[in-house]
This record gives sequence, structure tokens and C-alpha cells, in this order.
Amino acid sequence: MSIGAENMTIKSISTQQAIALLAEAFMVPTESVSLNTRREDLPGWDSMGALVLIAELDERFGVLLSAEESRKLHSIGDAVHFMERNGIVSR
Amino acid sequence: MAGISTCLPPKTVANDTETPRFGGDEVRKVVSMAGVKQRRVAEPDVTSADLCFEAATHLLKRLDWAPETITALIFVTQTPDYLMPSTSCVVHKWLGLSDACAAFDMGLGCSGYPYGLYLAASMLKAGGQGRILLLHGETPSHYASADDPAATLLFSDAGSATALEVGVDHGAFCMHTDGSGHGDLIIRGGGFRERFPEKARDLSVKMDSAAIFAFTISRMPELVKETLGLAQCGIEDVDAFVLSQSNRFTMRHLAKKCGLPADRVPMTIEDVGNCGGPSIPVTITHRLADQPNGDGFSPRRLMLLGYGVGLSWASALVNLDAQCHLMHHDYRSQAKPQ
Repeated sequence: MSIGAENMTIKSISTQQAIALLAEAFMVPTESVSLNTRREDLPGWDSMGALVLIAELDERFGVLLSAEESRKLHSIGDAVHFMERNGIVSR
Repeated sequence: MAGISTCLPPKTVANDTETPRFGGDEVRKVVSMAGVKQRRVAEPDVTSADLCFEAATHLLKRLDWAPETITALIFVTQTPDYLMPSTSCVVHKWLGLSDACAAFDMGLGCSGYPYGLYLAASMLKAGGQGRILLLHGETPSHYASADDPAATLLFSDAGSATALEVGVDHGAFCMHTDGSGHGDLIIRGGGFRERFPEKARDLSVKMDSAAIFAFTISRMPELVKETLGLAQCGIEDVDAFVLSQSNRFTMRHLAKKCGLPADRVPMTIEDVGNCGGPSIPVTITHRLADQPNGDGFSPRRLMLLGYGVGLSWASALVNLDAQCHLMHHDYRSQAKPQ
């Protein structure tokens, strides 16, 4: 039995789908967030929200968001750019 | 392994009673993620040594092992009674062990149980040892800061005793370390780097949950694979994967990522809490014994997986036969020899 997601092929998603994924992780309606939404304006993007995001990206795309990189994300736009850099979001 | 005995404090704290202190939403959020409904919490004057002492006395009695037949006592803990002497020496006295018995501490947390088993197995294999008592106890609830809901609502306390003697099965062990993450789970004050910290908060634990989670999901799948490779077996050959009970969210994610069937990943996090490394023996006595009191056991092959503070992670693949005694008692503040 194989273990892990090392052979997982990433199926890219759109920017809008990425925003929806982030909204779900931070427990807010998709329509209430945009690329400009700041982290401090999302109560759900706390330490547990950060953990949910790490889990989502690992489970769905096999991409590891480190704690250090996670701390550098200050807005939804930053998170989407991270997803772009890692092939999750098609440019 | 001749037997495993565990001891939990009798006091149960339901997390929903903490609602007024931390706010209902915060408590509900932590409980839904970590999965801890209630925790076993030791009174302030009860230590890891106390809990392990009681676990050990019950086990020695059940096995009918005379104290003078124990040739080594290993105490694994990060919550010792004193900075010095070693807690093992304190318990050595209480158990009435002989002066021919080696006794020492090992300072590891969540990965401590597989590390301790490895050390005991190596000593038995090397010769000169007859019977070894491995004690692993922690009181993490005592180092959670009152202003930190994530730690307060998660941590509990436990002691354990494992009896080992020379046998044919030496198990398979893998051990790893990434010291670059030593600050991710740390109590900064109270040691000799900062003996008397300016801020009292530094005497409590600081935990970077995201860093610990990222470490766990990046390292543990490889550890499972490595251990199976070393033992030349597959997931289907292992009866239970006993994880240190970090939190339900991490364990579920890990089990899924590693391809471990949920029914072979026993959990005690819901009604015991996270008591650190001893959560592995606690989960064995609570979930794998045939009887609710810990009695009885069917032969099983177990993979024990510890991960956390250090950062340190380790595994042990062990076979437990039907003669292995599993037992559990709640703490009763048993009298000790002075």
C-alpha cells in the first residue's frame, strides 16, 4: 500500500475556486472575501484557521504550507499567490 | 513486554465547564478540532513520579516481580520532580529497588515511549540485565498557562509502567530528530538557560500549533513507511497503530495521509486529553485490552508512533503476546516509604 501524497498530480483550480477554498477554511461566506481581504479582518484566520489551511492544501493538493510561510500570508491575495507558486492555482 | 500498567488522576474536567473563562465560541472551536471533551487532571501536588509509582506498584504485584529482581529503572519524562536528582532515583527509593539496579532519567516528551522501549530492548539485548521497568509519566496540565485556551483545553496528566524482560522479540525501532524546531514547543524559563525568567509566562508552555502540525504531517508518513520497511511487513500486517494522542484533527489527518484504517487507530483523546508520550500506553490499556479494567489481551502486533516536542519522532513495532498483562488504575494517593 502506498503512503503519502508524494506522487499526487496537482489538478489546478481557478482563482475563484481558491478564494472559495480559503473562505471555507476560515468559515466565512465566499462572497464576503476577495483578494484584498486582510488576515486581521478574518476572525477565522487564527491559529486554528491556519492549521485547517495547511491540512486542506496537504490533503487536496499534496502541498506543504510551512508554519513560516503561513505566517507570511497577510491577505487572501497572499494565500492565492502561494497557491499559484505551488501550481495549485492556474495563472 | 511482560506488562503495561497505567495510572490516571481520578479528577475529570469537562471542557464545557471552561466556557465562562475562555468564552463559549473559543471553547467550542478548540473542542471540535482537538476532540477533547474531558481531561484527566492531576492535583497540583501530584507529579509524574506519583502517577508512575502507583502504575508500577500495581504492575509488580500482578507480575509477582520482587523489587530485587529489577535490574534497571528508566524514567522518561519532561516533568520531573526536581532539576536534580533524577526522578528515577526518587522512585527507586519508593519501590524499594536494590542498589544493584541502574536508574536514570530520559528527557523526552511525545516520542518518549518508543525511545524508552528501544533503550530497554537494547539493554536487554546487550546482556547483564534481567528485568527492566520503564516508567513514562507527564503532567502537561501543570505547565499550561491559564491564559492559553489551546493548551489548557488540551492537556491532561498520566503515568505508566512497562515491564520488560529478556525474550525473543526485540521489536523494530526508528528514531529521528529535527532540532531546528526546538522552539516550536518550549518552556523557556526555569532551566539553567533562564533560571528565573522576567516574565512568569515563560514558566508555561508555548506552542506553535501550525509548526507542530506541519512537522507532523511532513515527517510521520515517512516514519510509518520506514518502520514497515524495517520490519518487512505492510499496513495490513499491523493490528493497531497507536499514536501519541496529540489532538483529533492531527491524528485523523495523519491516519488518512498514511492510509491507516480508522478502526486500527485507537483514540483516547476524547475522554482523557493529551497527556503527552504516556498517551501511548494509556491508549493501549484503555482501547486494546479485552476487559474495561485493562485485563486480558489478544496477541497483537502494534506500531507505536510518538511525535512532538524536540522536534522528535519515533516508532516501535512490537508484538504483544497473550501473556502480556495490561492494567489500569486511577490514582489513589498511595502511601510511600519515607
